[in-house]
Amino acid sequence: MSEILLDVQELTHCFRLGRNTVIRAVDHVSFQLRRGEIFGLVGESGSGKSTVARCIMSLIRPAAGKIRYLGVNICDPGQFRAHRKLLQTSRQLIFQDSAASLNPRMKVADIITEPMAIHHIRPPRGSLRQEAAFQLKCVGMDPSSLDRRPGELSGGQRQRVAIARALSMGPELLVADEPIASLDVSIQAQIINLFQHLQREHGFTFLFIAHDLAVVRHLCDRTGVMFQGRLVEIAPSKELFDNPLHPYTRALLSAIPIPDPRLERARVPQRFDPAQFCREGLLREVSPGHMVLREEADR
Amino acid sequence: MDERFVLIGARTPVPPPLPAPKWYDGKPVCSMAVLAFIMLGCLCCEVFLPKDPAYMDLLHAAVPPGSEFWFGSDTMGRDIFSMIWYGGRASLLIGFLSAAISAVLAVLFGAVSGLAPKWLDGLVMRLTEIFLSIPSLLLIVFLQAILGRASVWSLSLVIGITGWTAIAKVVRSEVRQLRNSEYVLASRCMGGGFFHILRKHLAPNFFSSIMFMVVMNVRSAIAAESTLSFMGIGLPLEVISWGGMLSLSEKALLSGAWWIILIPGVFLVVTLLCVTNIGSWLRGEGEQRGNNL
Amino acid sequence: MRRKNPFIYYGGKLAGLAVSVFVLSLAVFYIARLAPGDPLVSYYGDRAEKMTAEERAQAEERLGLDEPVHIQYTRWLGRALQGDFGISYKYKTDVTQIIADRLPNTLLLGGTGFAVIFAGALAVGALCAWNEGNLLDRIICKVGTVVSCIPEFWLSLVLILVFAVQLRWLPSSGAYTLGGGGGADRAVHLILPLTVTAAGHLWYYAYMIRNRLLEELRSDYVLLAKSKGLRRRDVLLRHCLRSILPGYLSLMAISVPHILGGTYIVETVFSYPGIGTLSYESARYQDYNLLMLLCILSGSVVILSNMLAQIISERIDPRMRGEMPAEVTEHG
Repeated sequence: MSEILLDVQELTHCFRLGRNTVIRAVDHVSFQLRRGEIFGLVGESGSGKSTVARCIMSLIRPAAGKIRYLGVNICDPGQFRAHRKLLQTSRQLIFQDSAASLNPRMKVADIITEPMAIHHIRPPRGSLRQEAAFQLKCVGMDPSSLDRRPGELSGGQRQRVAIARALSMGPELLVADEPIASLDVSIQAQIINLFQHLQREHGFTFLFIAHDLAVVRHLCDRTGVMFQGRLVEIAPSKELFDNPLHPYTRALLSAIPIPDPRLERARVPQRFDPAQFCREGLLREVSPGHMVLREEADR
Repeated sequence: MDERFVLIGARTPVPPPLPAPKWYDGKPVCSMAVLAFIMLGCLCCEVFLPKDPAYMDLLHAAVPPGSEFWFGSDTMGRDIFSMIWYGGRASLLIGFLSAAISAVLAVLFGAVSGLAPKWLDGLVMRLTEIFLSIPSLLLIVFLQAILGRASVWSLSLVIGITGWTAIAKVVRSEVRQLRNSEYVLASRCMGGGFFHILRKHLAPNFFSSIMFMVVMNVRSAIAAESTLSFMGIGLPLEVISWGGMLSLSEKALLSGAWWIILIPGVFLVVTLLCVTNIGSWLRGEGEQRGNNL
Repeated sequence: MRRKNPFIYYGGKLAGLAVSVFVLSLAVFYIARLAPGDPLVSYYGDRAEKMTAEERAQAEERLGLDEPVHIQYTRWLGRALQGDFGISYKYKTDVTQIIADRLPNTLLLGGTGFAVIFAGALAVGALCAWNEGNLLDRIICKVGTVVSCIPEFWLSLVLILVFAVQLRWLPSSGAYTLGGGGGADRAVHLILPLTVTAAGHLWYYAYMIRNRLLEELRSDYVLLAKSKGLRRRDVLLRHCLRSILPGYLSLMAISVPHILGGTYIVETVFSYPGIGTLSYESARYQDYNLLMLLCILSGSVVILSNMLAQIISERIDPRMRGEMPAEVTEHG
């Protein structure tokens, strides 16, 4: 088994809304990312996927738990500061809404090279501009867009620019927070294929967050399912989709539409009652690599 | 066009192209030119001044405008024409200097307050409020007294210190709005520090709204200087400025010497008007959309 | 926003006011004593300069100026809480009495000025919005810009020059003719200061109203109202004006001290016996007790009007209701 790049242990985070409402966005979540794999994280909106991503990127300091990245505990401010440059260059994040994550006043060339400018890295391909052109070509765009601003690009192009910006630092870990949710379906496919291609080429580890199960099945090696802040099931993607064990996973999978309209109409939708899904207990391994959240009494 | 396809029925007449916009369209050319003229005149006034502006010719006190004194002379016998150009230096310098001081203070305070955690932000805003609740005139009197004898520099500092809060509020609210935007998050994720984010992401966004206010601060600083000097708490009498010239107006009122009041005042107002016009142009007026009524 | 208990809501605001006034008094107390100057001059006049060191020490002891500043402050605070704000060094009487004599004059000037500005700005702004782009609108805009550029003191000078010195229609100074004068006399004395006060501020607010109205006119509900067949006048007055009114009210609340503060200069130029001239004198001549009370008064006006504005926008403006602030803590 290959080396573990990212180790999330018992990650917990709460948001305080108002004086006496506290929301447990992430509740004792543990999982590992192996170097070079594509890990999918799925779940309904509000299940805490994005919070996990932001904790991993150190945008939020988690309330409890540990995140080890390359052996560095990034939740510890001292260790974070000591390895700041490594952490900030080798982890990159792609946001859901590319229109919001690119500064509308900057040119594409400046956007792509912003991380290099921050860390005063000498661009490997001569000037910053040539570097930007190269990265743009890598994500399948024409260098003529270098002087455009995000407002002049289409949604798919903007997301490509965001990807180019993330890849310009040659990251070890790429976290994409619903990178395709705000795109058209045809563009989604392009971006997914681009991710697959880039991952093969660069070999980075990829945490892919989505709520579209078909995409996750297509792209990811392993998949984790989140439900109301808990991680309820982790398995290799094929195993998960063929043999879902947790009731929530089953309900989720049953919601994937079947392309054949006759079959789709004949199907009886599963009842979806959040109260019936088990949230308590521990993750238990039922078959190699397949873990499910179960209460003690189940066994 | 492809010759196999011919559109039928779509022969809308092509409207004649609009005349290309001239470079000066929408720009306050007149104000800019007048302001430039006044500034140039003040800067190089030594070249053409007919008289020494500080020389008191007591024999010719309060002479109406004529060939000897073009704009007349004041109650102390100084030549108003020379004083206007010479005194404009102090007035304009104070205007620009104090606007610059207040802009720097405002951006720093606003950005810090906007990026700070909530309690610190609340504290800063509360202190600003208390600071604002001391009448600015009294504040200026106090500060001036602490700084000692008034000079162009100290007066600029005092006016600058009293004039930053409005801009700081704008900066703060813009920063608060922007700080949770994803591109700021992205930049922080990449490791961008406070000044990097301020310079690259925040400043360009609030620059336009600030620019207008800074220019308006130039205007209010010039007005403040003249008011203060007029009331006798600004520049000392021997430092010539537009406000200082007007401080002699009480005597002028009694003797009906209108030129002592009107001529420097007109210069002052014209300057302020030019600055205002440039300011409102910077705010981006002139974009017109259709009215639904 | 959840509707809090009104007692807690207004109680919290009052507590905030008290704390702010306390901090303000502390700040003014220290700044005033930090500023160089001799308060004895204001008490004894020119005599203070000829005093021997011994006499000075005695005088300072009598006025309580010999002790360290923090002791002076606590003593002042203790007396002030009982309603005793001390005597003015210059006028040798109770400061509350002096202020009570002058306050009505300022309130008269400021109050009428405020009313004129409030109503005038609405009228002028609506008129401009109604005639947007017309000759009338453009003329009003130009004139307004020019007038708003004129410093108040200079406008006062010019008005005095024209109406008092040249034409001799109106009095040039004071609030009433010495030894008599009824309401009409006061009104005549009020005309010039009022004109200057209103001219200085009116256009600022009128222009804001004009632009807000124009913004409203570009929104879709105006199109809808028009398609329903409402008359233009009704759309403008009933719908647009109503939706900008809460914002205008809270802005005007904030601007109360602004307009009152503007009367300082006007009072000085017209030798109008009001609070403005008094504050200015007290700050210049270290009349500490008078200065403290004046600062606290004006500071409270500022803070109160800010609170009023906040209350208006939080409680009266229906659009501000139902907002939920969600704060996210971050690090990185």
